[in-house]
Amino acid sequence: MSKLSRPPQGETLGLTNCPTCKYLCHLEQGNCPRCGQAVQSRDRTSVQKSWALLITAAILLFPANLYPITIMTSQGQVRQDTIFSGINHLVHLDLLPIAIILFTASILVPMLKIFGLALYLTAISYRLPISKKTLMAGFHIIEWIGRWSMLDLFVISITAALINMGQIWDAKPAPAATAFALVILLTQLAAKVLDTRLLWDRLESKDDTN
Amino acid sequence: MTLDDRKRPRTDMKTEVLDKSIVLCRACDLVVRKRALPTGVRALCPRCHTNLYDTPYCSVNGMLALCITALVLYFPANFFPVLEMHFLGSIRTTTIAGGAMAVASQGYWVVGIAVLVAAVIAPGLLIVSILTQVLIVKYRLRVPFFRNIYKKLLKQHSLLAQLSMLEIYMISIFVSVFQLSDYTDLYFGIGTFCFTMLFIMVIFMQREYDIEHMWSVLDE
Repeated sequence: MSKLSRPPQGETLGLTNCPTCKYLCHLEQGNCPRCGQAVQSRDRTSVQKSWALLITAAILLFPANLYPITIMTSQGQVRQDTIFSGINHLVHLDLLPIAIILFTASILVPMLKIFGLALYLTAISYRLPISKKTLMAGFHIIEWIGRWSMLDLFVISITAALINMGQIWDAKPAPAATAFALVILLTQLAAKVLDTRLLWDRLESKDDTN
Repeated sequence: MTLDDRKRPRTDMKTEVLDKSIVLCRACDLVVRKRALPTGVRALCPRCHTNLYDTPYCSVNGMLALCITALVLYFPANFFPVLEMHFLGSIRTTTIAGGAMAVASQGYWVVGIAVLVAAVIAPGLLIVSILTQVLIVKYRLRVPFFRNIYKKLLKQHSLLAQLSMLEIYMISIFVSVFQLSDYTDLYFGIGTFCFTMLFIMVIFMQREYDIEHMWSVLDE
């Protein structure tokens, strides 16, 4: 099948997968015979939806990184930590492995996710000199690794519950936590609503060699 | 099946045969010819390397056993503290939900809900949902009422699976322990043990579970 110059797609045969149960449906049926879900070959509005969610997430990334995410009180001294300064503090405490885990989960992953999805969405609308295989591999990685950002929020919730001794030792979440939670939610949604089949259509009509 | 056949417009034999022998890639819509696979092998899309299908490895009895074990472990894992801290003679403990409440009570209810959903509610619903599905498949699939429930549960499955983040919570416990162990003594309790076992059970449960296979049960 790979020897053909234009590989056959489901759309040209009038077939499509049901979005819910992956049953092979005929497009003229309108609804999936197995689960009743409406079927359509491509969800063309998904690019807009995905952009909207992604841009919101990108805006929220600023408060999430600039405002403090935890407030620590230790023997009367109050210390406010942003995501980055908290990780920096861990490096100074010689907890490098933990710092690397937290850096990956809370800084690297959200930023790569937003950047990667933006690249992917741009590639659907415009011709970019990146192979579709690379973009798709990136998308799979983004989908899989995105949830690991929750790590930081879990750690905050555990420490906030354990350390509550008033002036002696106290840990509380701070405003960036909400923004960070929303960044995770919105980027996950942006990846979920996107119909990835659009990428393979658009580039194909212009460029068959990829 | 009779109802479905009536709904379907008349198609000639050729397309009917085609339907059974091909699969469409869900990520790029490529038409791929289906072929039998040996166990433990997964078919990838030749164009974009997305998972297409694997051999159904979905034993109903095995899943039933895992579900019941997970359900039994779920309650101690959530009601006993996952971490215990001794500091200057005072003892602090927390359950998973306690952590979520501690954050929510400070006014960060978005974070609190996120923690509660990802680590308590979604895993619980996932276990109950799979248990119900398995029981229906085993005993009551022919009854239309249960058939409808089965369909509804299958539709929600991917959302629940995505929302449940036990593995991440597991790592978070370790991260917190490493962060705090410089200052205080931390102890694991029966809750930590149950949570770890719950996490392992859910991992195996999700490995065993195959959504496409569960859907295909309806066709038989």
